[in-house]
Amino acid sequence: MKVTIINLLIAAALGAALAPPAQAKTKVVVTYPYIASLVGEIAKDQAEVSTLAKGDEDPHFVVPRPSFIGKLRQADLLIINGASLEIGFVPPLIRQANNPKIAPGAEGFVDLSQAVDLIEKPDSVSRSEGDIHPEGNPHFILDWHNLPAVARAIADAFARIDRAGAGTYRKNLDALLARWKVKSAEWDKRSASLHGKSIIQYHRLFDYFALRTGMKIVGELEPKPGIPPTSRHIEDLIQANAPGSLYLVVTDPYHERKSAEGLAQKMSIPWAVLPQDVAAVPAAKDLVSLFDTMLASVLR
Amino acid sequence: MIDVLFSAFLLSVVLLGIHSYYGLHIIERGIIFTDLGIGQMAAFGAAVAILVFDGKYMYPVSLAFSLGGAFLIALSTKRTRNHEAFIGLLYAFGMSAAVIALSRAPRGAEEMQHLVAADILFVPMHAVFKTAILYAAIGTVLWLTLKRLRGTWRELLFFGTFSLTVTSSVNLAGVLVVFSILVAPAFIVSGIKRSFRTKLLLAWALGTVLNLIAIVASYFLDLPTGYTVVALYALSGIVFSLVRGL
Repeated sequence: MKVTIINLLIAAALGAALAPPAQAKTKVVVTYPYIASLVGEIAKDQAEVSTLAKGDEDPHFVVPRPSFIGKLRQADLLIINGASLEIGFVPPLIRQANNPKIAPGAEGFVDLSQAVDLIEKPDSVSRSEGDIHPEGNPHFILDWHNLPAVARAIADAFARIDRAGAGTYRKNLDALLARWKVKSAEWDKRSASLHGKSIIQYHRLFDYFALRTGMKIVGELEPKPGIPPTSRHIEDLIQANAPGSLYLVVTDPYHERKSAEGLAQKMSIPWAVLPQDVAAVPAAKDLVSLFDTMLASVLR
Repeated sequence: MIDVLFSAFLLSVVLLGIHSYYGLHIIERGIIFTDLGIGQMAAFGAAVAILVFDGKYMYPVSLAFSLGGAFLIALSTKRTRNHEAFIGLLYAFGMSAAVIALSRAPRGAEEMQHLVAADILFVPMHAVFKTAILYAAIGTVLWLTLKRLRGTWRELLFFGTFSLTVTSSVNLAGVLVVFSILVAPAFIVSGIKRSFRTKLLLAWALGTVLNLIAIVASYFLDLPTGYTVVALYALSGIVFSLVRGL
């Protein structure tokens, strides 16, 4: 009996050794779920993706866990949002991972913010102005027309790392862009009625979204970026905006809701929680449903 | 992966080396919360540096605040009878003042969390070596001179070097990590009737085992390392005193 089991084990081991090796997948680490969705569209099953942040986590501050270092050590490709959004957690991770393949400047390091034009570049950067990103506002993905450039940057990176698969990545990218064009036209049409409407947001998070839909952002609940709302600042917001001039108060899934709700109640206007990433709210399952959900939350 | 775990482990051993020495002294003096008080003042100093100087001059500002705190504690052990109450109040002040300062700084809540228990997995090796050299120097000076000094000079040396050490450690590892490493091993071995030297060696041995368990557990269970160290040290102290009490 024992002999049979050992024989079986040997046979199994030999079989495993002799079988043709499965094609090695590109190991990719991305910071946010939306990047993982894009990688999924472009590389399909050619990539093994690990995502550091959860969708409903504050993208500015992701709690680093020991496993992040291990993932970065083995990665062939690291794709980040960039524009200092990950400044709090990615640089120490890269340093401790000590993996030359994904070091900034290497072939396997991709900063997506390089692919788009950023808005709100500050003239000077000082902490007294709050949590300002020197490169400009980093939440560029919330304009659906920025997505094709970002997708192209990802496809280019895969083609660099895995030349043999370049054709496949190109084909997948084209398929995504074709679908995206149809959806974008639909969203452009849907958001036409939002044009000129004034909103207040919690953080400078939805500026690209507002720019695309034609909404006007007249203020933030935060007195300065990254500083929690104070009662005096909320009072100032109420004083500065005439009753009836505001359309909506919007906030994100990871900040407290009380301030947004309180302001909306005082001004007798509705308020809404908008997802800022894939998986930030359950309805935003993928890139398409992210923008569907965002528009559905502001159209009323 | 081993090298990252190793540098975190090395850091925890470096911290243990000097802090369990202070821990034994502090338990003997009955001013256990001194470390929390001084550590929190260092954290308040760091918060002020973040708010006022944009995060520059963190170390000197932090050191100035902790020296101020140490001076007040040294004064109170002379003047007041219930100095534990005084130290507790100093801790509460340092904590609340740091929160108030950071409420005006961007991402203050995260900075605060970092000051309480930082992630020692992200401390680079050269910082570990720098700290090891500094603490070895402080330790040697204390070992050679403390027993020869009396009165005010002794207090000055003790609290002065203590503030310097706590400030450096808090910047690397956070207030709670430093406190638990300082108190737990010293507390556990303090009941043993042996010489100071034996107790120190026992505290080192015990702390090294705890460090190893905490860091390996935090890696395999994927938990924040700083808080894992604090939880394990605190739990060991609590379990030990319960077992001894029964």
